[in-house]
Amino acid sequence: MAEFGPDALAAYIAVAAVLFAAGVLAVATRRSAIGVLVGLDLMLNAGALQFVAYGRFRRSGIDVQGQTAAVFVIVVAAAEAAIALALLFAVYRTSKDVDLEQTRELRS
Amino acid sequence: MIELLLFWTCCLTAVAGAIGAATVRNLFHAALLLGLCLSGVAGLYLFLEAAYLACIQVIVYIGGVLVLVLFATLFSADIMGRTQRPVWWLRLLGIVGGALAAVVAVRLLQVVLQHGRDLAARRNDSGAVPDLFGGSQDAIGDLLIGPWLVPFLLAGVLLTVALVSAVATVQRFRRPVERARG
Repeated sequence: MAEFGPDALAAYIAVAAVLFAAGVLAVATRRSAIGVLVGLDLMLNAGALQFVAYGRFRRSGIDVQGQTAAVFVIVVAAAEAAIALALLFAVYRTSKDVDLEQTRELRS
Repeated sequence: MIELLLFWTCCLTAVAGAIGAATVRNLFHAALLLGLCLSGVAGLYLFLEAAYLACIQVIVYIGGVLVLVLFATLFSADIMGRTQRPVWWLRLLGIVGGALAAVVAVRLLQVVLQHGRDLAARRNDSGAVPDLFGGSQDAIGDLLIGPWLVPFLLAGVLLTVALVSAVATVQRFRRPVERARG
């Protein structure tokens, strides 16, 4: 139990792996741009969780640099969400839907 | 024991939310399940002694990014996908789960309020500001204005560029009538 619980690295890495795999699945299989956006957020979150987990279980004790890196991941996610919303608006205005299979061009 | 139970609950929430967000057909529900996954990860941050980051996760990620994603679902032609009426046992499960969640939420609120009262009492005793997040926010601040100064400034530039370009993109695709009106 000691290797797989709140006081060991393995469980966190496993959760992050599942999150990343789910994100890749969503990005690869979703036809709607919103599904892809959800998948991207899942992958970013998995990365942030890895940063914090590895920083927490350093051999030399807890390392706060992992948490600082996770803060930057959250900043990137915020920027990504703003850009994605603007792009979705543009796609919606040109083709009345955000289906990535049908979207061919982006011109006003 | 209760700690272990909470840990596995957080793990399960994160994993189930992620798998649901990736596979559920209804896009609105997928975005809501993403929120479930994010709150599970916030719980895991608490176990990693990163309470400050857990707060950031709830405020910025769930409160900001997730709301933007929910906004984005409005652009979809059929938000709800092919919605079916839920079968009766699924609906019953939902009601029971909702009731349980309400009980947990009330209990959590009680604990948080009690914690706040304890902190205030301790502050009155010693006169010093109590340490709410276990000190990690001090270390993060020191890193941000020290070795991480350049990435910190670049993050500010990135956010500014993202916001300005988002507004510029939206302006280009407004309807001619709206553009004439300004």
